[in-house]
Amino acid sequence: MIKNILIEIGLIARFTARFFREVFKPQFEFSEFLRQCFYIGNKSFPLVAITAFIMGLVITMQSRPTLVEFGAQAWLPKMISVSLVREIAPVITALICAGKIGSGIGAELGSMKVTEQIDAMDVSGTNPYKFLVVTRVMATTLMIPILAILADGISLYGGYLGCNIHGLVSWDLFWNQVFDTLVFADIVPSILKTFFFGFIIGIIGCYQGFNSSKGTEGVGQSANSAVVISSLLVFIIDLLAVQITDALNLN
Amino acid sequence: MGQETSKNIRVGAFVLAGTVLLIFSLYLIGAKQNLFGSTFELKSQFKNVNGLMPGNNVRFTGIDVGTVKSVEIINDSTVDVTMVIENKVQAFIKKNATAMVGTDGLMGNKLININSSNESAPSVEDGDFLVSKNPLGTDDMMRTLNITNENAKDITIDLKNIVRRLNSPNTLWSILMDTIVAENVKEAIVNIKVTGERTAIITGDLSRIVKHVKEGKGTIGALIADTTFAVKLNQSIVNIKLITDSLALVTGDLHYITSKVKKGEGAIGTVLMDTTFVNNLNESMKNVRSGTKNFDEDMEALKHNILLRNYFKKKEKAAKEKK
Repeated sequence: MIKNILIEIGLIARFTARFFREVFKPQFEFSEFLRQCFYIGNKSFPLVAITAFIMGLVITMQSRPTLVEFGAQAWLPKMISVSLVREIAPVITALICAGKIGSGIGAELGSMKVTEQIDAMDVSGTNPYKFLVVTRVMATTLMIPILAILADGISLYGGYLGCNIHGLVSWDLFWNQVFDTLVFADIVPSILKTFFFGFIIGIIGCYQGFNSSKGTEGVGQSANSAVVISSLLVFIIDLLAVQITDALNLN
Repeated sequence: MGQETSKNIRVGAFVLAGTVLLIFSLYLIGAKQNLFGSTFELKSQFKNVNGLMPGNNVRFTGIDVGTVKSVEIINDSTVDVTMVIENKVQAFIKKNATAMVGTDGLMGNKLININSSNESAPSVEDGDFLVSKNPLGTDDMMRTLNITNENAKDITIDLKNIVRRLNSPNTLWSILMDTIVAENVKEAIVNIKVTGERTAIITGDLSRIVKHVKEGKGTIGALIADTTFAVKLNQSIVNIKLITDSLALVTGDLHYITSKVKKGEGAIGTVLMDTTFVNNLNESMKNVRSGTKNFDEDMEALKHNILLRNYFKKKEKAAKEKK
C-alpha cells in the first residue's frame, strides 16, 4: 500500500518535472492553449459564478446572527470580505474546477489513451505531452486565478445582497467598508495560491488521463482519481499557504 | 476559423475582466493606503502605542487622511511612529497639533487621531514632529472605574445609614412630621415678619436721625456740624496740651527731688536715707521715752504731794458731778 503510494508520488513528480522540461521547449501550441483556456475559463465561469454568489450570500446570512448578538452587525461587510477574499472564494473556485476541469481532463486524456490516440500522435511526429499536457496545465494555471478573482467580486456582491436582506447597507458604504478592511496581504497571497491550485488541478488531471489503462473502466477511474487527488491537494496547498502567510506575518 | 476567433475573443474578454477586476481591487486598496496619491510624512513619539501597527489609519478632525507607515521602538519608553498623510490636508494640520493613539469604535482597530489646537501656528512640513498625548488605555479606564466603584459603594453605605437615621423616631424626620413644630415654625416666621417690619420702622427713624445730624440739628448735630464748637474744642485740646506740658515739667522736678532724696542729699534725704542719723534718732527717741516715763512717775508723785493733793481731788469731784 505504502509502496504503491510512494510509486504514485514518484510518478506524479516525474510527470511534473517533464512538464517543466517541455514548457520551455519551442513550438508552443498556442491555439490549443487558447482553446483550453476557453473551455477551462469561459465554460467554467457560470458554474463558478453561481457557486461564489451563493457562498457570499449564505456566509453573510449565517454570520449575521452571531454579530447581531454582539451588536456588531456593522462589521458584517468587513468580516465577510476577509473570509471570502482570503479563503472561501479561492478554495470554492479550486474545488469546483477540480470537479469540473480535473475530471474532464482526466476523462478526455484517459479515453485518448485507451483508444491509443496518444500513441498515434506520437507515431505521427506530434509531441502528445506538449500538445495535450502543457497546454492544459498552462490553461488551468492561468485561468483558475482569473476565475478566483471574478469569484471574489461575485461573492462580495452576494455578500452585499446578504447584508441587505435583514439590514440596510448602502452600496457605497458596503464597498467602502470592504476596501477599508482589505489590504494587499489579503488579496495577493490568496491569488498567488490559486496559481498553485490551477497547476495542481491540471497536472493531476493530465497525469491520471495520461496513465489511464483497462479500457473504459480505466477512463472512469482516471476521472474519479483526478477529482479526488486534486481536491485533496488543493486543501494541502491551502494549508501550506496559510502557514507561509502566517510565518510572513501577513495574517 | 471564425468560430475559433470568436472563442479567442471570449477568452480574451474573460482574462481581461479578471485582470481588470484584480487591478481595480489592488488600486482601491492601494488608494486606501495612500500608495498612489502625493503624500508627506509626519512623525510622533509615544510612550505606549497600545497595539498600533503599520497600515492603521490616521484621522484628522475625524476624517481618514493617511496611514501609519512604521512603528519603531527607540528605547524603553519611546516608540517612534511615522505617518503618511495626504498632501491635500497639509495646509490644515498646524505645527501645534497633537497626535493621540485611539480606537475605531469600542472594539475596532487602533488609529492615530491628530487634533488641532485653538492657537494659530504655521502648517506642518514634511518630516515634522507632532507632540503626542498619552492615550487613555482601557486598563487606565478600568482602574479609574474601579476606584469610582469603591467610592460609590462607600457613598451608598453612608447614604443608607443617613436615610435609616432619618427614618428612625426622635430624629429629623419626626421633627419634619411634627405638626406642632410646623405651627411653631409658622409663628416664628410671623414673628420674624413683625420684627422685620419693626426693624424697617427703626431704620426709618435712624435714617431721620442721621439726616438731622447731617443738617446740624440737635446736640450731636451741633457737635458735628457747628464750626464754632469745633474751634472751642480745638482750643480746649491746646489748653490740655499746655497743662500736660506743665505737668511734664513738674514731674521732671519731682524726679530730680526724689533722686536727691535717694542720694541722701538735703534735710529730707538725710532724714530718710542716712542710717547714722536714723540710729541717733532712735537713740534720742529711746531717751525721750525713758524721760517721759520718769516724768510720768514724777507727776504721779506730785499728785500725792501735800501741796497739790487738794487740787486733784477737787478736779475728780467736779468730773463726778458732771456725770
